[in-house]
Parts: sequence; C-alpha cells; structure tokens
Amino acid sequence: MKSRPVSRRPVSRRTMLRGLGSVTVGLPFLEEMHLSNAAAAEEAAVPVRAFNIFFGLGIPAPLQQEGFAGVLEPLKPLRDKLLVMRGVDHVRADEKGINAHYDGAAAAFTAAPPEGEAKAGGASIDQMVRRQWYPGGLPPGMVPTLVGGTFFRRSRVCRYVHSFNPDGTVAATMQEKPRDLFERVFGTVAKAGDAADDNAQRLRRSVLDAVVDEYKYFTSVHSPLGATSKARVSEHLERIREYEQRAFALKGKVPEAPELPAGSRLLHGGAADPGGEGIDITLEELTAEWRLMAELYALAVTTDRTRFGSLTFLAAGERIRLKGDYAYEGRTVFAFDDAGQRKRSGSGGCSHEWWHDFDEKKSNEQLRAHAHLKLREVAYFLSLLDTPDALDPNGKTILDNALITISTESGDGRHNDVKRELSGVFHAITGAGGRFKTGQLLDVQAEGLDVYNTMLAMMGVTQRLGPGNRPFTPVESIIA
Amino acid sequence: MVKRMPGAMIGSLLPGLLLCMTAAAASDEPQPQRVRHGLVALYDFSEADGTAIRDRSGVEPSVDLVIERPDSVRWLGTGLQVEASAVILSAEPAERIIDAIKRSQGLTIEAWVTPANAEQSGPARIVSLSKNPSERNVTLGQDKDAYDVRLRAESTDRNGTPSTASRRNLAVPQLTHVAFTRIADGTTQLFVDGELAGAGEAAGSLTSWDTSHRLSLANEVTGDRPFLGTLHLAAIYDRPLSPQEMQQNFAAGSVAFNPPPTPAERNALAFSEQIAPLFAKHCIECHDPAIHEGGLDLSRGSAALRGGESGAVITPGSAATSLLWESVASDEMPKGRAPLSLSEKAALLEWIDGGAAWPTDVIDPVIYRHSNRAGEVWVQRLTVPEYIATVKAAVGVEIAAEARQRLPADLRADGFSNTAYNLGVDLKHVEAFSQLAEMIVGRMDVLAFASRFSKSQSLSTDNTMREHVAKMGLWLLRGPLDEREINAYCGIATTVSSAGGDFEQAMRFILEAMLQSPRFVYRIENHRGSGEARHLSQFELASRLSYILWGGPPDEQLLEAAERNQLRGQAALEAQVARMLKDPRAVERSLQFVDEWLNLDRMAHLQPDGSRFPQWNASLAADMREETRRFFEEVVWSENRPLADLINAPLTFATPQLAAHYGLAPAGEGFQRYELPVGSGRRGILSQGSVLTIGGDDASMVSRGLFVLHDLLRGTVNAPPPCVNTTPPPTKAGLSQRGLAEVRIANQQCGVCHARFEPLAFGLEKFDGIGASQSQDEHGNALRDDGEVLFPGEAEPVAYRSSEELMNLLAASERVQESLTWKVVQFALGRPLVAADAEKLKEVHRVSQENGGTYASLMKAIVFSDLVQKTATEKAE
Repeated sequence: MKSRPVSRRPVSRRTMLRGLGSVTVGLPFLEEMHLSNAAAAEEAAVPVRAFNIFFGLGIPAPLQQEGFAGVLEPLKPLRDKLLVMRGVDHVRADEKGINAHYDGAAAAFTAAPPEGEAKAGGASIDQMVRRQWYPGGLPPGMVPTLVGGTFFRRSRVCRYVHSFNPDGTVAATMQEKPRDLFERVFGTVAKAGDAADDNAQRLRRSVLDAVVDEYKYFTSVHSPLGATSKARVSEHLERIREYEQRAFALKGKVPEAPELPAGSRLLHGGAADPGGEGIDITLEELTAEWRLMAELYALAVTTDRTRFGSLTFLAAGERIRLKGDYAYEGRTVFAFDDAGQRKRSGSGGCSHEWWHDFDEKKSNEQLRAHAHLKLREVAYFLSLLDTPDALDPNGKTILDNALITISTESGDGRHNDVKRELSGVFHAITGAGGRFKTGQLLDVQAEGLDVYNTMLAMMGVTQRLGPGNRPFTPVESIIA
Repeated sequence: MVKRMPGAMIGSLLPGLLLCMTAAAASDEPQPQRVRHGLVALYDFSEADGTAIRDRSGVEPSVDLVIERPDSVRWLGTGLQVEASAVILSAEPAERIIDAIKRSQGLTIEAWVTPANAEQSGPARIVSLSKNPSERNVTLGQDKDAYDVRLRAESTDRNGTPSTASRRNLAVPQLTHVAFTRIADGTTQLFVDGELAGAGEAAGSLTSWDTSHRLSLANEVTGDRPFLGTLHLAAIYDRPLSPQEMQQNFAAGSVAFNPPPTPAERNALAFSEQIAPLFAKHCIECHDPAIHEGGLDLSRGSAALRGGESGAVITPGSAATSLLWESVASDEMPKGRAPLSLSEKAALLEWIDGGAAWPTDVIDPVIYRHSNRAGEVWVQRLTVPEYIATVKAAVGVEIAAEARQRLPADLRADGFSNTAYNLGVDLKHVEAFSQLAEMIVGRMDVLAFASRFSKSQSLSTDNTMREHVAKMGLWLLRGPLDEREINAYCGIATTVSSAGGDFEQAMRFILEAMLQSPRFVYRIENHRGSGEARHLSQFELASRLSYILWGGPPDEQLLEAAERNQLRGQAALEAQVARMLKDPRAVERSLQFVDEWLNLDRMAHLQPDGSRFPQWNASLAADMREETRRFFEEVVWSENRPLADLINAPLTFATPQLAAHYGLAPAGEGFQRYELPVGSGRRGILSQGSVLTIGGDDASMVSRGLFVLHDLLRGTVNAPPPCVNTTPPPTKAGLSQRGLAEVRIANQQCGVCHARFEPLAFGLEKFDGIGASQSQDEHGNALRDDGEVLFPGEAEPVAYRSSEELMNLLAASERVQESLTWKVVQFALGRPLVAADAEKLKEVHRVSQENGGTYASLMKAIVFSDLVQKTATEKAE
C-alpha cells in the first residue's frame, strides 16, 4: 500500500518550524547555515523526546524467535535503528480477575498492573522522561503530551491509551480521529494551552458528536420516521451543525499548518466497540485511516509541536473482522477474512480469536498475517521519523535521537496461563541518541520493570518505576 | 377479529367496502410489504376450504401440508381455526427447508396466531420440524401464557432444551404476531407483535439437524401436543430477520394477500378521496340545504341525484349528459369563484363516468377543510410546556423559568400551539437544548440519579456500564435503547474515561447527550411499515397516553406496564387511564387545552382603547383569564359535568374587580364562585370576558360570530371574494352593530356567508368590547340579544330570544357537543383533523357521550380509539 499524503499541499518542515516561532528545536546543520548565527546557536540542541507505540494482541514469544524471517519482517528495513528485545517479562502485572488483555496492555510502558478500570498502575515511560526534562513544562505553544490512535476496543482505558501520569491517570485526552488530532496539534485552541478548559471543551464536543450521530440516525435510511418527520429531524440536524460550527469550530490554526484533513469515515466512539462484538472493516479502511493518523502524528513530532506521548495501532483485545488482500513488498501475504475463516459473526469472528487459538505446533497463518500487518504499520510510522525531513541538528533523524518504545499486550495470547501470556512480551526500542544498542535482536530475559528502569536511568531520569523498596537490577545488555 | 390494519382513508369512510376487500384474500400475488428475502416456506391459509394447505413461498419443491383430521378444524376465511387436536403435516420430510437452514445456520420462524386460551402447554406446537415429542430440529410453541421455542444445537439437547421463552402474559387469546430468530453465532430472540419479548442462546452448529423431519402445524408430528386456536399465517426463513424486518412483517399484518379493488370500489373510493373534498371546496357554499341555489343541494347524495330547478344534474355513468359536468367543464360554475383545476375536472369526469357512487350520507365541508396531507404523521417535538414537564418528571429538575426564557415560544397553528407540523426547530432551539441540558445536569445529584438504575459505578463497558446506560436510557428516552444507542452513549463514558474523567463526569455527559437527543426532544414513533396503519408498540402507546393525558412522559408504572405488555388488554388499559386521570397532571393538561383553545395567553397583551374602556387594566385581564380556567376546572373536574355545560353552566369565578365589571355584587376577596341569576344574560364561556374580547373594542359581530361558527359549530365559510371592502362602516345613532350585520346579511353578495355566522353573535350584543353588560351602545342605540342559529347542514335556522337561550341552544346541540370533541381530539393528537379521521371521531364522540360526555369520558374514548392506538405508516424507501 502506498502512503497517503497528509494534505494536498506539501508541508515544509523548515517553514513550519520558523512559522511556529516559539519552538526551540534546531534545524539540520546544513539548513542552519542559512539562519543567523545567533539563531543557530539557540537551536543547536537536540530536544529530548519519548514516545510509546502500542499495537494490540502481541507477537507470541515463539514467533519472535524467528527474527526478521518471520512476522518481524517489516521491521527489517529499520533494524539498524532498533533494538528488538525478547524475553521481557510482565508477569508482575497480572491482576487476578482482570481481563488478560487489559492487564497486559496496562503493563506496557508502565510495568505495573492497572489500578481499577480507568487508571494505570503508575507513570508511563514517556511521562517519566517528560517530568525529568521539563519540570517547568514544555515550551509555550507545544502540546505537552500527544495521545492518538486508531483502535476498536475501548471498554477500559488502558486498552488504548498509553501515556499515564505517575498517579496512573491519563496524561492527555485520546485523539481518535485524524481530524481531532490535527486540531489538537495545529488548532489555536491547543495553542492557548489551558488544559482543563480544553479538556472540558473536547468532552463537551464528544457529547455533541453523540447527539449529532443520533440525529443522523433518525435521518438515515434506517430511520423509523416517515418522510415528513425525517425532513423535520433533518432540519434539526442542520441547525445542530450550524451550532456546532459556531460553538466548536477550529478557531484558527497555527500559521503554515497543513490543510485540515477530511472527516473520518470509520466508526468511532461507542459505535467502534459495540459491546465487544466487533466491527467489520476492510484492510484498505483500516490502513488508510491509521496512516493518516500516523502521518499527522509524525508531522506533529517533526514540526516540534510535541515531544511526548503515545500512539496506538489497534487496542488490546481488538475486535475487528478484517477483510482484504494483504501484500507486502510485492508479494501476497494473505487474504484476510476473519469472519469467513472463523465461520462466526460477532466477537467469535474477530481477529483476536486467532491469538486464543495460538499453538506453536501449528501454522497459525492467520495470526502470523495479522502480526505481520501490525508491524508493517508500526514500521510505517517509524519510517516517517527517519526521513531527510526528520533530521535533527546533530545530523541524525528523530528516529535515531528520540526514545521510542514499541510494545504490545502479550507474549502469547492464551489466557489460561499467565506465565506464558505475560512473559516474552515483544518490545523494541530506538537508540535514543546512542544510549541503547541497536541493530540487534536481544534475548534480554528480564523483568519489564528492570528494562524500563534501565531505559529511564539512561535517559537521565532519577525516579524509578515500581515499588519503592524493590531493588533495581539494571539490564546492562541493552545499554550501548 | 381485525386481520389487517386498514388504510386510514379507506377505513374511515368505507368500512363495509374494506371488510369485503380483506375477507376475499384470494390472490396468488405475494403482498410486497412482507419480507421475501430468505423465505423458504409460507402458509397463508387462503385456501378457505379443503384439506390441503399450499406452501406459497414460491420456492420449489413446495412443502405443502395436509390436514389429516379435517373434523378438528374450521375454515374461517381469516385463517384456520383448530378446534380440537389436529394433525397438519407435510407429506414428505421438509428436507429443502432443513437443508437451507443447515447451510445458513440462521433462521426465522414466524406465525400469526390467535391462541384459544392461555393455558395450553406441552408446549402446544404451533410450527414444528420434529420427529416426536422429545426429538426435534426446532419447534415454536405455546407454553401457557408464554411462547417457547426449542431448537436443537450443540449447546442444547435433542429436544432443543434449554429453550428460548418469551415473557409471560403474551400468549393470550388475541391475534398475535410471534416470531423466533436464531443467528449463526447462536443468539436466539423471540419477538411478539414486532417487539423483542425474549432472548436466549442455542450455540454451536446446526449440523446435527435431522433432514428426515417433517413439518407440522398445530401439533407434534405424533399428534400428542396439540395447539388450539386460529392459524392465520406461518412462515419460515433461512436467515434471521432483523428487528426492522420483524417490524415490517408485523406491520404487514396477518393477511398475506389482498385483491385489487373492483371498479365500483374504486369509484366509491374516488368519491371519498376526491369528489367529496371537491364539492366541499367549490360547490356546497351555495348548494347546501340552507342556500340551495337553483334548488340544488350537493351536500347529500339523494338530493344531488334528484337535482334542482333545471332537473337532474348528474347522470351516473355519463358525464357527457350530466348538467353538472357541462357547467363545470365550461367554467360556468363555480359562479363568481375560480374554476376547477384540470385535475379536479378530470376526477369529476371519471367519477361520473364511473357510476357516480355516493357512499356517504352527507358531505360535511369541515371534514375536508384540510387535505388528508394535513393528517400526515409529523414527529412531535415537545412543546415548551411539555419539555418543562418532561425534564421535571424525568430528572426532578424545575427548569421552567430558564426554558421559557431560552426556548422560542411555540407558535399557534390551526388553533393550537402543539400542532406538530408547526413545531419547527431553529438555531435558538438547538442552542437552548444544549445550554439547558448542561444547566439541568448541573442541578442534579448525578450519582444519586444514576444509582436509581444500578448501584455500580463502573465505567467499564465490559462490566455494568452498558446495562446502566440501557436502564437509564429506558427511563429518560421513554423506551428501550437498541444496541446502537447503547454503544453510542457508552462511547461517551469511555471517552470521558480516556480523558481521565470519573464515573460521575461520564454520567453527566451521558445525561447531557440524552437530554438533547431526538428521543428526548421528540416523541419518536416508528412510521415505517406497509403503508397502512399499525398498532403502536407498548412503549409508543405509553408515551402517547402520558403526553395526551398529562402533557409529560410516562411514569414508572406506565413504563413498567409497557415493558410487561400490559397496555394491550381493555381492563389493564382502563385501569391505567383511570389512574392517570386522577393525577393532578391530568388537570394541568386540561387547563393547557383550554388555554390553547381559547388562546387565553392573548389576555396579557390586549390593549383596548383607554378612552373607551377606562376600567381596563392588566389585572382585570388576568382575572378574566383566570376566571375561565377556574370555571373550566370547576365544571370539568370538580363537578365532572358534561363538556357541553361549559357553554351554559350558570356559574363563574370572579375577583371583586371582575364581579363589579360584570355587574355582580362582589362576594368576597380573591376569586369566589358566583351563581349567575336567570336574566343576567351570563352563563358559560361565551359570556366571559376572555371570549367576549375576541370581538375587539367594537364587539364585532363578525369576529364573535366566526368564533361560534368555527369553534362551536364546526362551520365553514370561504374567504370574502377578492376586491370586497371588508372594513366595516362605523356605528352611529340609529345603526348599531346588529344593524350593520343585518345590512351585510341582506346583501346578495355577502349574505350567503354572513347569514351563517353573524346571527350567532346577536345574542352577545349586550356585552361590550371588554365583556361588560350594556343595554345601549355609545350612540344610544338600544341593544338586543335575540337571534337565530343556522346549524351547519340544516336547512332552517332556529330562533332564540335571549343570550341565555342561545347558550342553552348551543349546549344542547349535538353539533356543538361534537365540536367540543373535535377540539379536544385535535389537541390530543397535535394535528388538524382530516376526512380520514371522521368516522373514528364519530365513534369517539358516541362512546364519550354514552359515558356522560365528560372530559374524562372523552379522554378515555380518545385513548382507546384507533386515532391513538394506531399510527399511519409509510412504505420503506
């Protein structure tokens, strides 16, 4: 699949950076030559950045052992920039009576079991780094934490949000439509920076979105109303849209921002997770929306609108029935048809059932295809931070300089064995400016908590995750 | 037993014709309204006799059935009545049907039945694909007062148990639509009369289904589990019908087929739909019993066919030789008015040529005042008072002041401000609904409110949130939410959760969304169906009852009754209505009616000429408004008198100020009841200031007369012809208002209409522009109160000698009593009344009068009528 451009008008990162004015990121050295010396000196430093990239369901540990010859293949082009860590253990995050997808997902980036249904057990990696490096807040105008994602399971927050404050609360509101993410990044509402008001405004907007959807339903072909009544409700809907425009329209966008993307055609909100029963979706629909989201998120990073946050490609325990022909590098990998192949509708026909069925003695072809696809899409995002347009002042790309942690929810998928499920959870990290090894597939065989704390230590973070009285065992094998 | 829901127009005007049409039911053409996709067997019992029942699904090979014990059944014409244990079986195994279901793993079994009783069990087999009492593929049956389906799947035994059962009290001796679906994932659902009545699971594959089973109706194959009752229709599909399709089949009714009308029936229908409105609009103004220009009365069939001074004007079957057609075709008629349109002329021509059928007694022009389009179903937005009452009842918040300040006032249309077609929405409404929702929720104890529906405070949609939202939604939105809606509102909870919000905040936002949703702001009903009227669902009926009787939403008892299907029986519904009429909200709603009918709000804005009426002031105006309300409450509620007594009850309520204004000796502070003495000229609403002021400063005979004509006599007059100066000349010495009126009546051009209404106001001449008594006008002209009433449709007027006689004459008039019924019905329905309503209105009026003609008896008759029990439907797009 070809990537879809974010906007019809190409956006110059350099123009953006200059236009934003208040930001402090430097331009690549060669470009700096065109700037004044004073400006060049001010912008010379490479900012500290940390992002968490989550994908749902996971890579069963036995498949990780196949390396790039197996489902990890899509990461191969980026292998020199990544450290793939096998044998990371999150068993401590198991919470009895809690859905296995949920506690596995909550452990990603926090190494802690969830606390209740809407909170993580502690801070996530990106937020630990943010607090250490920007104790007084990010430079003005910047989005402090950007959380986005394309996901279809939302019964519990940790399934799809992956940036958490130390008290376990979400670090920022999830942007689940490309347009929402755009407005958060490039809208002047965001620039005003009043987080509390902004949040309330966004929630109130979600109420209006739900109301609009109800009116849309009653004007649709499914409406129980007759023609005259439908016309009346249509009028009402038009007035609501007028009201919406007045009350919530993007008040303006930062100069030089790209064009506002078209509205999403996919299901969002409650409709995206109909009681765990799943939705039908084509490969084209899924990847088109995700890639637009990924491009906008990458643009937010490369234009220095944000330095911390998380991005989710499919929630933990995702409930989709995927259909479509999947090709990679010119070869046909698989024809997705979850419902047809499982001969089930509803939840039983969803992709996550392939994980429940995983058996290392069998081919697991559907699971493999899904896992391969997930990593292709994660690699798509990562590659956007590794282009010439993503160079930092040190001549390296953001992918080289930032701490990007890629993880998922389980090492197996079979809920009947916690040890098997929460051991060997796939992880990959970037080099973070040379702090960590790259170009390797490493069997770290360590607790996730120690791996994360090692990463934090190397990022200069003084605080540690996990219980205060627990001795910290650095995982030196990952350090460059 | 009603087999089909008749079309509104046909049903109201041609009941005999309709009966004939539905009873025939002999066509082989499938009725398009029923769902066909996936149909694998269909039995409509249209054979009417014999021992063979044909499979009319059109799928080959057909699975026909044989009645093996013919003595135990009786053909009714409307189905097959099973009077004793019968065996109705396919001759061969129903292999085609079974194979189709095994392939799809989904199915629907549907039947229209009238059980003989609510006691038979076994379950008593209605439709069965089985081998014996303990081995089956699937069986739809009746188990006492519930329906029950046994389906064999991996999770059930060979007998198909555990079964899927409906709620109790549904399998009762009345025509019922029952249908069962199983989707491929094992989910099973039972629908009764189109509504979900039970759910269960028969999980796993149907591969174990036995293709050797035969299809049987009304019994087990072995003949030992009989069902007694009437079978009207049975169908099997190889797929689960959606809830919408289920509604569609329910709406399509119990008769699968319908013959086309005969030419004679079409001609009769043309009269009702086209010709009667045409005569009412163009002809009867001059050709009624009273005016009968040229000796011709076109309001009655016999008179019209008899003709006038020029002889017969209609020759049935031959327009070419009909004088009526000749004069209309040449535009000679209507005289002095616009000619008929081409389509009207074409309709008239076709009707005369087709036989000039005249299936009704009298053409009452008022019935045709509105086209039948005015009777179309418009979704009803809550009026401002209804919104206030709904918020109060639903969440306990008083929002009257803020709502009245923010929401635009509802405008009057056709005499009432709750007329649905006029309840539009503009930006201000949307803004107000949003602001009010935030305000309302801000005043609520949200956690306490939420705890009414679940003690859980979990935000997780995997835990209790969905159930929580469903229960809260059922209450706030006056009926159960579907999955889509539950998903949508749960989405708000998860969004709040993902933004770090808590349970209370999630509930706040969900409440805000619900308070702005179409199902809160509007009274949503299902208008989709076969194009014919259908019975309301229980929840739709509960809402209609509560908004009609209370002007607010159903209370818990009413919703609970709807949930238990307890609004269908006469006794249960009567008990609910009786309970509701005892509630103070019923009084309040009736006062809204009188406010609206007499437009009492205008009292606050009246500004009579101060030099002519120095005694007028705002508090006197307010007293007049309150007088009418108190009078109404006294007559209607305290004394439970017939509504007609509103016209002549010799009592009123007045403050000392108002009493003095009327010339009564003040009886004490505040409002006091006054008995009005004989000879005072005052009695009933027509002598109250609130109504008399309709005549304006000059006590216009025209305005007052038109009020009596329109609002009490349901009379019609056309607008004055163009170019007529309608500004009345002033009164002067020797020429009172009555004198002016008599001049108009004597005028050849004006008198045709003015004779119909101005004499109605003669009896009010002794009341001045603001309702004070007077014996002479400002010029010293002596005033009179004698006159005459020309009741619409009558040939001769009836004289009265005083205003009191006028009031008594009106109160005793059947026409006036009917008019009061019409007014109350119009307010209840929130739409103008049209020709299609006429027969039902007659019935409502008859029932109400038989029970005393009181407001309570009228409200009961209204809510039991098809006007409320049914709704029109439109075919799916």
